[in-house]
Amino acid sequence: MVIKDKDPAEVLEPTLEEVAGVVVGVGEDLPESLWRVRWRLGWAGFKKNWRLFSENKIGMFGLALIIFFALMAIAHPLLRGVGPWQADNIYDPVIGFDAVAIDYEVVATEADVADPVTQIDVRTAQLWCFGVIPGDVCTINQTPAPPNADHWLGTDPLGRDVASQLTYSTRAAFFLGSIAALVTVGVATTVGAIAAFYGGWLDNFLMRLADLVLLLPLIPILIVVSGMFEVTMPLLGVLIGILSGFGGTAIVLKSQALSVKVKPFIDAARVSGGSNMHLIFKHVIPNVLPLSFLYMMFTVTEAISLEATLSFFGLIEAPMTWGIMLSTAQTQGYLRSGLEFWWLLIPAGVAVSLLAAGFFFVGRAMDEVINPRLRSR
Amino acid sequence: MLKFIAKRLIQMAFLFFLFLSLVFFLLQAQPGDITAQFLDPSLPAEVRQQIAARLGLDGGIWNQWWNYISNFFTGNLGVSFSQYPKDVISVVAERIPRTLFLFAFATFFSYALGFALGKRLAWRRGGFSEAGITVVGVVLYTVFYAWFAILMILFFASKLGWFPINGFLTPEFWRNAPFTGNQVFTQLLFSIGIGTTIAVTGLVVARRVSERSTARIVRRTGYGLGLVSVVVFWFMRSDMWPFARDIIHHTILPVLTLTLIAFAGTMLLTRSSMLETLKEDYILTARAKGVPDKDIRDRHAARNALLPVVTSFILGLAFLIGGGVVTETVFGWPGMGQLLLSSTLIEDVPLATGALGFIGLLALFAHLFVDILYSVLDPRVRIHSRT
Amino acid sequence: MTDSRMDTAEGDFGGVTSTAERPILEVKNLVMNYELKGGGMVSAVEGVSFNVPKGKSLGLVGESGCGKTSVALTLMQLAADNARVLGGEVVLDGDDLLKLDREQMRRRRWTDVSMVFQGAMNSWNPVYTVGEQIRETMDIHWSPKPTTAQARAKIVELFNLVGINPEMIDRYPHEFSGGMKQRAVIAMALACDPKLIIADEPTTALDVIVQEQILQELKKIQHGLGMSIIYISHDIAVIAEITDLLGVMYAGKIVEIGSTAEVFARPRHPYTWLILSSTPSITGPRRALAPLVGEPPNLLDPPTGCRFHPRCPFATQICVQEEPTLMEISDGHSIACWNHEQVPLTLKVDA
Repeated sequence: MVIKDKDPAEVLEPTLEEVAGVVVGVGEDLPESLWRVRWRLGWAGFKKNWRLFSENKIGMFGLALIIFFALMAIAHPLLRGVGPWQADNIYDPVIGFDAVAIDYEVVATEADVADPVTQIDVRTAQLWCFGVIPGDVCTINQTPAPPNADHWLGTDPLGRDVASQLTYSTRAAFFLGSIAALVTVGVATTVGAIAAFYGGWLDNFLMRLADLVLLLPLIPILIVVSGMFEVTMPLLGVLIGILSGFGGTAIVLKSQALSVKVKPFIDAARVSGGSNMHLIFKHVIPNVLPLSFLYMMFTVTEAISLEATLSFFGLIEAPMTWGIMLSTAQTQGYLRSGLEFWWLLIPAGVAVSLLAAGFFFVGRAMDEVINPRLRSR
Repeated sequence: MLKFIAKRLIQMAFLFFLFLSLVFFLLQAQPGDITAQFLDPSLPAEVRQQIAARLGLDGGIWNQWWNYISNFFTGNLGVSFSQYPKDVISVVAERIPRTLFLFAFATFFSYALGFALGKRLAWRRGGFSEAGITVVGVVLYTVFYAWFAILMILFFASKLGWFPINGFLTPEFWRNAPFTGNQVFTQLLFSIGIGTTIAVTGLVVARRVSERSTARIVRRTGYGLGLVSVVVFWFMRSDMWPFARDIIHHTILPVLTLTLIAFAGTMLLTRSSMLETLKEDYILTARAKGVPDKDIRDRHAARNALLPVVTSFILGLAFLIGGGVVTETVFGWPGMGQLLLSSTLIEDVPLATGALGFIGLLALFAHLFVDILYSVLDPRVRIHSRT
Repeated sequence: MTDSRMDTAEGDFGGVTSTAERPILEVKNLVMNYELKGGGMVSAVEGVSFNVPKGKSLGLVGESGCGKTSVALTLMQLAADNARVLGGEVVLDGDDLLKLDREQMRRRRWTDVSMVFQGAMNSWNPVYTVGEQIRETMDIHWSPKPTTAQARAKIVELFNLVGINPEMIDRYPHEFSGGMKQRAVIAMALACDPKLIIADEPTTALDVIVQEQILQELKKIQHGLGMSIIYISHDIAVIAEITDLLGVMYAGKIVEIGSTAEVFARPRHPYTWLILSSTPSITGPRRALAPLVGEPPNLLDPPTGCRFHPRCPFATQICVQEEPTLMEISDGHSIACWNHEQVPLTLKVDA
């Protein structure tokens, strides 16, 4: 869930149209097309906002985190095609089963084990090597293996390279985040704009719906849904997008749309013959969009956390994600002994937390930029 | 006030109706046939039909929908597939007190902590502690919760051994206990309920007293009496006390974990809200009147800053409930959240949807509670009885 | 606006510089700047001096930003965090308020000097009743603390004084109308029998009819109780109706001060003269309006010499170089101007 603590719909900054003093009617011709004007103004606006944003240390830190992970995500396919990583598919995150095999000399009892690295007592050995007696050599696959030369972050309980899994999951996370964000923006903007524009019972109904959605705890619903359907990453992204798009974001965007709706250039456009649809899509939505981008950040945070939780419970159908990494380790009991298998515990959890945090920080910083009241200056 | 509550209850019922319909259609949208899961496909068709009829799976979809909704409202949630012949409602009912216990405490502590910290942060701007506490709070807020819970268990339970690793009671201890876990839970909830009611009564009475120092005495007496009543209660039930203590011991770590995750949201919101409130003119007036700083912060500013925080509870509710589900699962706490997950995993459809329905109900009731609380706190919203 | 300049307060005029008894408030050379992030200092109050005789009312008039509110806030140590008092004394009934520490000042607030703020609507905390908020002042300052009955009796008395139905004591602020809120604020200001009340734009946010009512009430209260009041306003007509003394401020300085009747009838400072000349008179002779050109100066970097010289039609070289100090030109009437003799004795009249 998101900390949304101020209603940013009360933005006092002028819209692009107002700054440009442009009124567009249906069928009118401009010296420059509207989109070019918007692009230019948008760029100027972006530069100004960037200056403000870059002063915010937390925001920059978040951005750094996101870039770091983005690099990691890009690194994966690059590394997969290069040099030793290509060999033997042992670096495939899903099926790269590579177990380091170590030979142990079998001795009689635990007391006789002088060097645990190369010796093992017969009782333990018999768990792996059937029928050995003291003096034999027992070869045991080390899974999960601690970090070593071949596998920088070790291997998971099935012998797959943890580092490869980590980078592969980064891609999955970004993929999911993008889908969820886009769907949220689409849904929330459209719903908010329509509710603001048409008003009346449609507005009422949509807002009641939004209230309901807002109230619903996402995790239980998603749990049940994933029990009933096979939830893949794209589907999950769409679900999260819809559920969070319909909720608080829609309400906020509706207020924003309302404030845009009453601006004079809308009336002018309507007088020049613009239909409602035209007005909504050509005027209201573009002016509401910057705000939606803000909420996009928070949606990505939520999506990443939600997916990690759900796949931790084993509810998601995906080849590999951070949540699945932790789930595998947990279900096979490797997390119970504390930090002994730290490479199974730490990297995945830290990755989820950091990337979610990155988007969250950026979102907060953007909030401060867009909402002047939050600024410290 | 009663009219207000009645109106809200009706709204709630309607929302719940929508919610259940949503759940129902979700159920129906499942790929595959429910009957195929639990009915042996090798049975002859007529027999399957009969059984389906018995389970209410025949009839058109609207029929089923109506049955489903009306059944839910009358308390008939169907029979659990996996725990046959136990019906869903008894399974769920068994779990509710445990979840309530966990949820109530976690909610209370996270809001109390968040509010207290946020209030202080806003009052004393700048400085190292502000940045420090904010960073800690935000880190905790964004950390991957299930993972964090595991870390907490590893540290506090495994390594330090202060708390048990999971569960809500120690099975060996309870082997020959004269009580069931649920009985003790209910008693715990009951005693705390009484204590809280007494304290709240103290608050209400104090509000009516215009003399400030007497009001303070009344409030403190209320808290004191509430606390005393809980102690006395358990003194009188000292036979049950060791078991209650065991439960409490198991509760501490889950509640602590959930509180740590959730408090930052309230803290940051309180801080912004306080900062806004402090700019108001009546704060300057209070200073001009010579009101001491602490009273300005608590009586004037915080009281007004509280309002948006209470509203945000509605938003934070979903977060806390979701968090509660994860908490129960990771800590092996057999409450409704854990029920939801386990029944989903074994595809016990009636049980899963029953649990989901109840969780939705919990959310709606909490929403109602917040609305009432808000109208109590903000006189502008209150329904006047005298106009 | 009426041409009621001749209807000033009754009673003796206390002179500015000499009175039989000691003035209740003596401000001497108060200097206060606002420190900006980045180091600049805004010269908000520069060497302001005035006295308020006991039982009399002083009006401080000036444009927005001239420093009148800053003076008031500084008196009570209520100015913003970045306000720096750089010099001067504020002597209330013998004690220099600026020398008090936070806690001492806090204890004196409301009992020694209380304030009625601009925009009374917002002076009320929405979650407590008006009665509770007035009671709060008594709980803090009365010694011994009042009983419920005593407090209530006092509030009833105050409400009757300002003309509010005592039934409203237990109502919330949002149940009051704008005018009622204003009156209640005045009632609250009187709760601890202060020696001095500062009223900052007491009627600005109200409509004209209510404005008139409130002003008359204030006048009545002031005379009835023998209160000393400082009125702050940008509306010179409003001030002139109810004050005994009038001080005109410009850009952080007092440029003219004297009895209201005197200042109004014979403004000697160019600024005052221009302001009064720019007001059309309904009942008096028809006048050409004398426009006041330009804008108040930037106090981060105020003009040299006399701060008004860029806009003054009578400015000469000395005005640019040397800052004029307040000089008494007739009994109780002081101005700060090198060329005050150039200022016409009458307001411009259309022949």
